[in-house]
Amino acid sequence: MLKRPSARRRSQPAEIQINLVPMLDALVTMISFLMYTMAFLSLTMVESPLPLVSSAQNQQQLKQRPLQLTVTLDDHDVVVWSPFDLIKQEKIQNRQDGTVDVLKLHESLIAIKQKFPTEDKIILVPQKNTSYDTIVTVLDAAKALDKTDPVIVVKNEKTGVQEQAKNLFSEVVFGNLLGDD
Amino acid sequence: MAFRRSIRNRRGRKIIHKDFELQLTSMMDILVIILVFLLKSYATSTNSFSSVPGMKLPISKTQELTPDSLLLIVTPEAITFDNQRVVEFVQTADSLNADQPSYAFKNEDLDEGGMRIARLYDALNHAREKAELLRTKSSARDAEGNPLPFDGVLAIEADKRVKYDTLRKIMYTAGAAQFKVFHLLAMRQDM
Repeated sequence: MLKRPSARRRSQPAEIQINLVPMLDALVTMISFLMYTMAFLSLTMVESPLPLVSSAQNQQQLKQRPLQLTVTLDDHDVVVWSPFDLIKQEKIQNRQDGTVDVLKLHESLIAIKQKFPTEDKIILVPQKNTSYDTIVTVLDAAKALDKTDPVIVVKNEKTGVQEQAKNLFSEVVFGNLLGDD
Repeated sequence: MAFRRSIRNRRGRKIIHKDFELQLTSMMDILVIILVFLLKSYATSTNSFSSVPGMKLPISKTQELTPDSLLLIVTPEAITFDNQRVVEFVQTADSLNADQPSYAFKNEDLDEGGMRIARLYDALNHAREKAELLRTKSSARDAEGNPLPFDGVLAIEADKRVKYDTLRKIMYTAGAAQFKVFHLLAMRQDM
């Protein structure tokens, strides 16, 4: 039995096939480019300015009596102190394996920051035999605020608005860099 | 019988229909997943710092990006600045055997009471002069029309076993060559 003419005209839908080859080429090119330019070495940095020596500045500082928070890394302990005795000197014993007790040091520095929220400077005094690894670990404890740390509120000098401090002591200077041990 | 069947199968396998098309959809899926992963973990950094094989960098929680600057690398064997080996450390049998490098300088490499590393000072001074010359020729000017001042930033990449005594001499030398800011490089700790 023949179909009606209208039914005969209706042809089967043609299969549409997208040509994926150019898209594939583009993807492979992009992946190659990304892999070539990708930085597999994830580096970060801790900034430290060179301490400036100026007699006029020293005289001014002596008058103002700043906190000048100092962290001295000794062989067996870490001493947190201020040359103007604005804080009570604290000795933090190293752990049994000889490494710095970073947690206690961090807690001690947080307590000081809470007392002096506008203070940003810290002076680090390592020993000759202190390793670079220890220095970076102490710098981490002194600079960064963790998410679990208590909130420290600082008044923004420009806007006058109370803000949450993002760093603990962001400016680290090596105290004995220019010769004194 | 089994022999005949295997022959038939082998013949059958050779036949490729003319309308055969490679299924690229699954390959596309894989490539897209790889692309998304790469884009997600792609670190946009402006520096070209690299590490030296065998050097162990300390790990830091700091998340600061490292801007491009002059790089000084302290390996157990030598100090490299601007891709050139400037000073070599004294190598002793003990230090090589004990896996604890000495990082000791030769006496002739030091001056100013053993604090300044002479060859490194020369290399840093040369780099500073070159940078200042480039700034003089550059069209970038400050508000008064003077060339931009030398920024004096030095990135230091050192093995984690390096002692502060060595680092201090390096920073003292850099300070003498008018480098005022040090970027101590470390491996970023994944948070």
